Amino acid sequence: MRTGTMIDKTMPPSVPELARKAAIVGLGETDFGDDYRAQRAKAEGFEPRTPERLAEIAFERALADSGLERKDIDGLATSFLYGGPQPGEVAQMLGLRPRHTMEVFGIMAGPIPQVCAAIAAGKCDTMAVVYAVASRSINRKFGGEKMDDDSGAPATYYYYHPWGWSSQAAHWAMCWQVYRHRWGLAEEDLGEVAMQLRRNAQGWPQATMQAPMTIEDYMGARFIVKPLRLFDMCLVNDGGICFIVSRADKARDCAKPPVTVAGWGEAVVKADKLDTLIRRQLRPQFQAAGAQALGMAGLSRADIGHFEGYDAATMHLVNHIEGHGFAEPGTTLERFRQGDFAPGGKLPVNTAGGMLSGAYMHGWNHVAEAVRQLRHEAGARQTPGLSAAMTSLAQTDQVHPIVFTREA
Amino acid sequence: MRQKRPDRTLGPRHQPFWDGCAAGELRVQECAACGKLLWPVMRACDGCGGEAFAWRTLSGRGRVVSWATFVQDYYRGVLPVPYDTILVELEEGPLFLSNPLGFTEAEIVPGMAVEVAFLPCEDAGGPFELPVFRRA
Repeated sequence: MRTGTMIDKTMPPSVPELARKAAIVGLGETDFGDDYRAQRAKAEGFEPRTPERLAEIAFERALADSGLERKDIDGLATSFLYGGPQPGEVAQMLGLRPRHTMEVFGIMAGPIPQVCAAIAAGKCDTMAVVYAVASRSINRKFGGEKMDDDSGAPATYYYYHPWGWSSQAAHWAMCWQVYRHRWGLAEEDLGEVAMQLRRNAQGWPQATMQAPMTIEDYMGARFIVKPLRLFDMCLVNDGGICFIVSRADKARDCAKPPVTVAGWGEAVVKADKLDTLIRRQLRPQFQAAGAQALGMAGLSRADIGHFEGYDAATMHLVNHIEGHGFAEPGTTLERFRQGDFAPGGKLPVNTAGGMLSGAYMHGWNHVAEAVRQLRHEAGARQTPGLSAAMTSLAQTDQVHPIVFTREA
Repeated sequence: MRQKRPDRTLGPRHQPFWDGCAAGELRVQECAACGKLLWPVMRACDGCGGEAFAWRTLSGRGRVVSWATFVQDYYRGVLPVPYDTILVELEEGPLFLSNPLGFTEAEIVPGMAVEVAFLPCEDAGGPFELPVFRRA
């Protein structure tokens, strides 16, 4: 599927020595909502943008947002999840002459920590970190394709092809099945997550989904993998995001309040993958990785005022919230109903609609919303006086939280 | 008549499993070093890293841990939707992803007792017996 250099996925260690060495000083995004609607409308002559063009738009906007000039950018990190040009070609395309380039993995599992570590090591001072995907335009499907991997433990789910079990969605369906029986919940209860995130999306003009969602809409939508329905699953849309990340001391001179990268963590399932995911709901990994990130940042969980969790599915977000200890096991859906996780609630979560209703940008969208919140630029969805936020990416077998802070 | 199924992962290391199914036995790897029972087939034990294994025949009895029904057609017609999948905790410990035989998702309750059965199937690799589970 992709060619070129091997991407180094090694995470830098979660140590205080690497904390607060760099900050996000620029944010640029493509127009997710406008582009999605244009694509759906299939207007004559509409050509979806290539990943290269999406990256270019995001970069131009991030650069303008930072108040910096091209000559100030001396590093470039690129991420084209489903294929794209090499960093050298991207630099040429963007008119940059970086002294350090790197290719980072597509989903938001390692890129920000890797970029911070590169800056801390003196490889560059100010890095453009560019991500773009054309998931919808390439008709990307999230199940069924053949991808044999017998390389060892934990084996991938493609091994279960003969039983017809291949999709990401099925993981969350089985998680929800266990969870709802364990806690005696109804199918409607999970709709609280989808409805809240839709309400959040309505507060962000570039969210992909803007239409109101009622419980009747939620329950009436088709099943994808029963018991999960259409609105339990994340979107598929095209887009690009660029962050400008600068050395902490230089970051103070930029146009916007710097959003400091204060800590990160990583926990990977090493054994008993299905049991860990479906019965334990990745809880050990959330706990371990969360503790690393908070410890590195020198903060406690109570300091976190805004949380963004990778919501591949409604149930996935429930696992994040409980795994990181923001809710007692079994209570998350009731707390959604009470508004605890809404903007203005006890802990606002996925305030731009996440990937369920906002934009499917593989966790980059979550970091973008954390940046807006920590800059106090989130308008009606703003968390008042916010000084620390956590983003958390998780797949079926790994968890990667990042803690961001706004310096006093 | 044999059911068409999406392709298995095949190769020398996987063959003992399918040979077991052909003989009406559910076999999994047993780590020679720590004794952990492993499924699916692994190159190295996920408990201790050991790379030597024996094949152990299991009772085929277990309990349903979770289940999900595929409604979206990810296999483009190879497997007609909707179809049910179940996650079974085998008596000896490993979790086994499979399909129900002779019952549907509507009848499942957590912890329901099941036992293995073998369904005649075929894929690109030829005919084979697929382990599925019926009510015990």
